[in-house]
Amino acid sequence: MELFLQSIVNSLIQGGFFALWAVGLVLIFGVMGVVNFAHGELVMVGAYTVWLLHAQNDVPFLIAIPVAIIIAMMIGLVMERFLFRPNRTDPLAGLICSIGVLFILQVIAHEVGGTGPAKQVAPPFNQIVEIGESLRIPMQRLFSLGVAIASLGVLWFFLTKTKLGWALRAVALDREASALQGININRISMIAIGVGAAMAGLAGALMAPLQNITPHMGHNVIITAFIVTIVGGVGSLSGAVAAAFIYAAFHTFVTAYFNGTVATICGLLIMVVVLIIKPTGIMGVKVSE
Amino acid sequence: MALLEVKNVTKQFGGLTALNDVSFSVEKGEIRGLIGPNGAGKSTMFKNIAGFYTPTKGEVIYDGQNIAGAHPCKVSGMGLVRTFQETTLFDEMSVFENALVGCHMTARSNLFSAIFGSDRQRQKIAAEKTMDVLEFMGLADRKDQLASELPLGSQRALAMAISLNADPKVLLMDEPFAGMNPEETNHMMDLTRKLQDKGITIVLVEHDMKAVMGLCGYLTVLCFGSLLAEGTPEEIRNNEKVIQAYLGGGS
Amino acid sequence: MSIKNLIICIVILAGLVALPHFLAYNFQDLLIFLAVNVLVVVSYRLVTLTGEWSLIHVVMMGVGAYASAMLSKMAGFPFWISMPIAGLTAAGIAALLCFPLFRMTQFYFLIGSFAAGEAIRLVWIYFIDPFGGSSGINNLPPPELGDIDFYEPIPYFYMTLIIVTISLFILYRIEKSRVGLTLNAVHWKAPLAESVGVDTWKYRSLALIVGSFFVGIAGALKVHYLGVVTPHQFGIGVMVFVLIWVIVGGYASFVGPIIGVVVLTVFDQGLRASGIVDPAVQPAVYGAVLIASILFMPEGLEGIGKRFFSKSSGENA
Repeated sequence: MELFLQSIVNSLIQGGFFALWAVGLVLIFGVMGVVNFAHGELVMVGAYTVWLLHAQNDVPFLIAIPVAIIIAMMIGLVMERFLFRPNRTDPLAGLICSIGVLFILQVIAHEVGGTGPAKQVAPPFNQIVEIGESLRIPMQRLFSLGVAIASLGVLWFFLTKTKLGWALRAVALDREASALQGININRISMIAIGVGAAMAGLAGALMAPLQNITPHMGHNVIITAFIVTIVGGVGSLSGAVAAAFIYAAFHTFVTAYFNGTVATICGLLIMVVVLIIKPTGIMGVKVSE
Repeated sequence: MALLEVKNVTKQFGGLTALNDVSFSVEKGEIRGLIGPNGAGKSTMFKNIAGFYTPTKGEVIYDGQNIAGAHPCKVSGMGLVRTFQETTLFDEMSVFENALVGCHMTARSNLFSAIFGSDRQRQKIAAEKTMDVLEFMGLADRKDQLASELPLGSQRALAMAISLNADPKVLLMDEPFAGMNPEETNHMMDLTRKLQDKGITIVLVEHDMKAVMGLCGYLTVLCFGSLLAEGTPEEIRNNEKVIQAYLGGGS
Repeated sequence: MSIKNLIICIVILAGLVALPHFLAYNFQDLLIFLAVNVLVVVSYRLVTLTGEWSLIHVVMMGVGAYASAMLSKMAGFPFWISMPIAGLTAAGIAALLCFPLFRMTQFYFLIGSFAAGEAIRLVWIYFIDPFGGSSGINNLPPPELGDIDFYEPIPYFYMTLIIVTISLFILYRIEKSRVGLTLNAVHWKAPLAESVGVDTWKYRSLALIVGSFFVGIAGALKVHYLGVVTPHQFGIGVMVFVLIWVIVGGYASFVGPIIGVVVLTVFDQGLRASGIVDPAVQPAVYGAVLIASILFMPEGLEGIGKRFFSKSSGENA
């Protein structure tokens, strides 16, 4: 029973992270049509920034977070301007360029962090919250869940209630028509990747006190983000968020009661099945021929 | 007995009805024009006949069999070949190679003969047949040129050559005259008549009225996905409904 | 093949036969891996010939490697039998995967092939019995033939050279044949090919299956020299290297990828030897090379070579 309740809490917290990871990827793919393979590395950059500033240089955690977001965002903008924009007609080329960025970012992280064991950041919020008799949740994890949900809320508001948000969704739906309507595709692309990268950086910053920080931590992120994005629907943000929490629950429970590797294998197989049956995902829109 | 019969074909894309209960039949050896204003559903009809789309409702009877929803390569295997709107070629291959692909059904290799060259004879025959087709289309002297480097008229001729090399019994020609000047149009009309002389049945989707009126023995007119009228070019030219459709819809 | 090209090939082969004797021990090792990688890259090109970029190729290499490893170590099969079976195993798995994978296209195929490959790798990691988990399987027996000591690099290299040359010859024959023509047609305009009776699904599958067969053999060749097979030899990092070789070299023609893998391997060795760049930084160099290649050299090295050597277009088909 204890394991069950604990797993539910863990699922929620993981779901928050999965959602942050996926949402950035969906935004970039939906609006720009390109897959950013370096998305996991943007998360990694967020984590490293917090480590460097907060753990190594005593910058307050709450200041390190926005810095991490900004740095990830700037990397995203550079990628848009120099890699994705020239390759707009060939998204595959953009994807391959992003793989190049993946390598470069990993090496930079390696140089910044040096060799040696994984980096760790002591959680700034180190109280433990106790619920009932058996449930103990570290405050840090609650904090990250809270911030994740708040950010998703802000994003939802931005996309549904602001003019800029509507422009983003218009471009995601039909780029040519939007351009004809006078929407500046370059500007919208930059905003999309800016927001997407920002969410990745935020996720990394929140993850920093909760796990080992290594140059390769992005690998797991990109795999999960792909699974969640495909299952939820490549164009659909709400689908991605829903899929994030569902997959988090699935993965957490299978890991808790069985094995983490098996959980990931199953996740990948589910993704392949979805790709076969309905490539645009559970909530995605079918693109006509 | 008609060679090709479209029976009550309806095609819906989500909420959009592209074709609404359309029926017509094509006799062997004729050149049938399928015309109508923009958006009438002509190309969509071709795609439904050739297997690239599956009709939501209705049948497509070809040579006695219902081929609605059959795989495109099965349909072409039965002799029904479709050409494509906008010049569609194998860009980075030579003219000869482009046309050679056309006779796939008679000259395909399996892996064994590919590696060991055991079907040399069949490939030789295919090459000769391909040269014949290229000569027929007037492209023989350009055979080693890259397809993407040809002038427009030659590209269209090459597209025709590819389809011709597949030994079609019925050819669905999708706007072959688009963008042609009068001289090219005449040349293409001659080629089309020569195809008819070879015994090929042709269904022609086309906006160029000179070509349509000059080539077709009978016309089927679509408008907004429905059958509007059928008749000889003379009858259609004077048909009130058709005139209205073109004037109203803009062509 | 023209007489001129045939002579070039023979000269290169002769040079390769002589080369190991002039190289230091560890460079002889390198020649073996280079030969294996040439096979990997040319077999990958067959797969890309249909226009789809797959991310599962290196995992297929692993499938062959594990098959040969398990057959030879656990079932006592000699290498000469386990190696072709390795190829067939990879081909078989590829055949099964055709059914799900080719219902996807383009981006979805890329992600789907990545996912399927990753799932297979995780299976090797999870099932310690029989795959050995993360540590894999070691003490793989080398080939046996009379008195030849295949632990030594030079004999192993000659064997690899023979097998790779035969494989390349077969792949070349396929490409120049009608089958190759049809594969190209499917690549350029699949609907047009379909309209003249080509079953594009069958041809895409053929490319994947044959490509997987040869990369499975490459996998067996690699691990029987190393003596060990692990899941980490076949991860996404290695797949990216294959992509880099193919993209930098160019993939419009048969030799493009070969140029890519040879030039980049030499470049890599030069980089290491010169000491200019810290080995830990090398992946970043490759990342930069990849980006530069996409942005500034879309036709790859072979494209540059072609422009340099040909005087008029349409000279060489």
